[in-house]
Amino acid sequence: MEQLSYVLAALSPNVLWVTALGTLGGIVIGALPGLTATMGVALLVPMTFGMEPVNGLSMLIGIFVGGIYGGCISSILIKTPGTPASAATVLDGYPMAQNGQAGKALGMATIASAAGGLFSSVVLATVAPQLASVALKFGPAEYFALALFGLTIIASLSGDIVKGVIAGMLGVLLSCVGADPITGASRYTFGVTGFAAGFAFTPALIGLFAVSEVFVQLEKIFEDKVKPVSVSGVWPSWSELRECWGTLLRGSIIGTFIGIVPGVGSGTASWISYNEARRASRTPEKFGTGYMPGVAATESANNAVCGGALVPLLALGVPGDVVTAVLMGGLMIHGLAPGPLLFRDNPGVVVGLFTSSFTANIFMFVFGMAGIPYFSKILLIPKKVLTVCIALFCFIGSYAINMNSVDLYTMLGFGVVGYGMQKYNFSQAALCIALILGPMAEANLRLGLLNVDGDLVAFCSGPITLFFLALTPVSLAWPMIQNRRAKKKALARQNSEVS
Amino acid sequence: MKRSVPGIAAASLSALALGGAILAAPMAQAADYPARPVQIIVPYNAGGGTDLTARVLAKVLEKYLGGTVVVRNQPGGGGSIGTSAILHAKPDGYTIGTGSQGPLAMLPHYGGIDYSLKDAAFLALIGRNQMALGVGKAAPFSDAKGFLAYAKAHPGELTVGNSGAGGANHIATEGFATAAGVKLKSMPFGGAIAAITACLGGHINAVVAHPAELINHVKAGSIKVVMVMEDKRIAEFPDAPTAKEVGVDFTWAAWKGLVAPKGLPPEVEAKLTAALDKAMHDPEYVKKMADMGENMDYRPAAQFKALAERDSEIAEKVIRSLGMYGMNVNKKK
Repeated sequence: MEQLSYVLAALSPNVLWVTALGTLGGIVIGALPGLTATMGVALLVPMTFGMEPVNGLSMLIGIFVGGIYGGCISSILIKTPGTPASAATVLDGYPMAQNGQAGKALGMATIASAAGGLFSSVVLATVAPQLASVALKFGPAEYFALALFGLTIIASLSGDIVKGVIAGMLGVLLSCVGADPITGASRYTFGVTGFAAGFAFTPALIGLFAVSEVFVQLEKIFEDKVKPVSVSGVWPSWSELRECWGTLLRGSIIGTFIGIVPGVGSGTASWISYNEARRASRTPEKFGTGYMPGVAATESANNAVCGGALVPLLALGVPGDVVTAVLMGGLMIHGLAPGPLLFRDNPGVVVGLFTSSFTANIFMFVFGMAGIPYFSKILLIPKKVLTVCIALFCFIGSYAINMNSVDLYTMLGFGVVGYGMQKYNFSQAALCIALILGPMAEANLRLGLLNVDGDLVAFCSGPITLFFLALTPVSLAWPMIQNRRAKKKALARQNSEVS
Repeated sequence: MKRSVPGIAAASLSALALGGAILAAPMAQAADYPARPVQIIVPYNAGGGTDLTARVLAKVLEKYLGGTVVVRNQPGGGGSIGTSAILHAKPDGYTIGTGSQGPLAMLPHYGGIDYSLKDAAFLALIGRNQMALGVGKAAPFSDAKGFLAYAKAHPGELTVGNSGAGGANHIATEGFATAAGVKLKSMPFGGAIAAITACLGGHINAVVAHPAELINHVKAGSIKVVMVMEDKRIAEFPDAPTAKEVGVDFTWAAWKGLVAPKGLPPEVEAKLTAALDKAMHDPEYVKKMADMGENMDYRPAAQFKALAERDSEIAEKVIRSLGMYGMNVNKKK
């Protein structure tokens, strides 16, 4: 009964109002390139000083959930990932919007985000303490194996494997710029202090996807043919939903798991989910061409990370990602110590957080669905004008992150690289994945080897490490097997047609 | 909507302030200081500990300085970009900033930095983040003596996590090891949280971190703090001895204060330090810092300077012994 009273307290108009406000603010923050969920939460933590703990934290959770979701809006509509979490949504979301299915793409993204978010909230509210121990099982070797497994996505994402590997290698190479993770020495910075911490990630992503697209659009800016873009239709049909059902569930599970593992984050989750959806699909060739399950996979996973990342934070006092690290600061300012004692000493706060995690996802769904017809009106702006606006947004967004002009060069540089890659059919996704996972693989490989004095056998001996290391070659070979099978099928079909 | 653009708004505001600064500069006299807004540059991101402290301080300082005080974030390069901006600003008292241990006392020794500690005018030390040594449950020792004995018996095997290569916690670990005459294996993680998590999971033996980062885990019983690198025991961990108590003459803490470029007009410097002295004793400021869990430690300019110079000297020795001295010097120049 006590629990129920806490739930009801978290459903009081006061709390609901700030949660809704936070979620709405989060969606806007997420949708604007250059403003991330992390920044939103960080900037609002001081505002919650004067609030009741549950109110303040509910607002922060609203921003978190809304912020991760909001990133998909600009990804789908203008190919500019609002947050790194939704970079993978560009792959199928943007082509869908170009094919006149902007409304449906956003609709699916909203449904998927809500599904992922609610799934992880259920996990959070039911088995958080049991699952949290997984978070501590990950040491350097385990992280390295996970990152290596993640890097194999490159093989299946990039049609032409050789070009995919080249793009991936380039990404890993670029991610070497900045401080060496073990010695701290500056690498490849050429004395530019602005590069001392490496290329700023969001400006690099904006350059890679958005600026390169601006360049492509500039080529045809004087062709005055305005394609009438249809933005009608928000709800996917039942058959489309049924097609995505399995993908949604898989994405939610992957996202929740990745969320629980500290420090991995929603960017990685959405790429892995996208790849697994493709692997399981009967029509993998449709991915990347504007295929709805592609959007379902990435968006369900990145929002499932929200609930997942709260699991170790609340149960162990270990934040699951950057946003929850800031959230932990918020908890501590209210005099609450995240960890096992929180469940004992402040059950009201814990139950309140669980409840708000549900309500924030519901608000996100309602606001998202209601807003889609308005968001997608962006596409009715003539391409010429829109392209210029996007270019402007790229500059503002890249600068707003750190207020550092060096980031603008990063953005432009990656824009040129991305443009060249697009022209010569190199996978930008492969480079993006390498930028995310390269540093994680490097730092943890070296840290892990340092820990065991370079003993490779000891390094690989953990069960989780072995599991991911064993999956890695399978994941590498799978796209080739899939290719061969498809070819065989096509051949068989040809033969039967001939005879 | 409004909330989403404070960064941009702040940037344009500070651009305006800067523009105003250039126009008004010749007219401003030291006697009527501050005639226009005073800018505090924070070389870290908005929302971080230093930033929040600076924002609270700015509000309180306005009361005693009698003018507007604005905070401007200039993050990047581990704090060196913003610190360089502070120390290379016009020394008129209208641009001051927060000076932290990392960018002031440590980064210059690695090279590739366009300032040194000598370029700084010290105004006031505002706080210190103490250093504590935490050990995991699985570690084969449970107190400072056991830690030292194990380290002596197994040179270079005992793994101690820190928040990043070359950072304050890394230098603290190595400085302690040198003073104690033992060899430890420093493990640089991407942040204190990652290092503490690895210690919780038993992947490393121990971790050097700040009390606020460790206290929840200590309360939960998953980490034990066996030693602090302070002169006296601290309130958070009354049972943990100081390094001196276990026979190692070493103290270390990460600190932050307010600094300005060298060459301030003496009247301006006096006004600033007097206002800071009052602000540091302001009940509102003291309460806010306590609520935020900040360890306040106000010291006037001279003592701040002495502390910074002492730490810079120790850091240089440690960095030299690690072979990291001058590693980022741009050889072409």
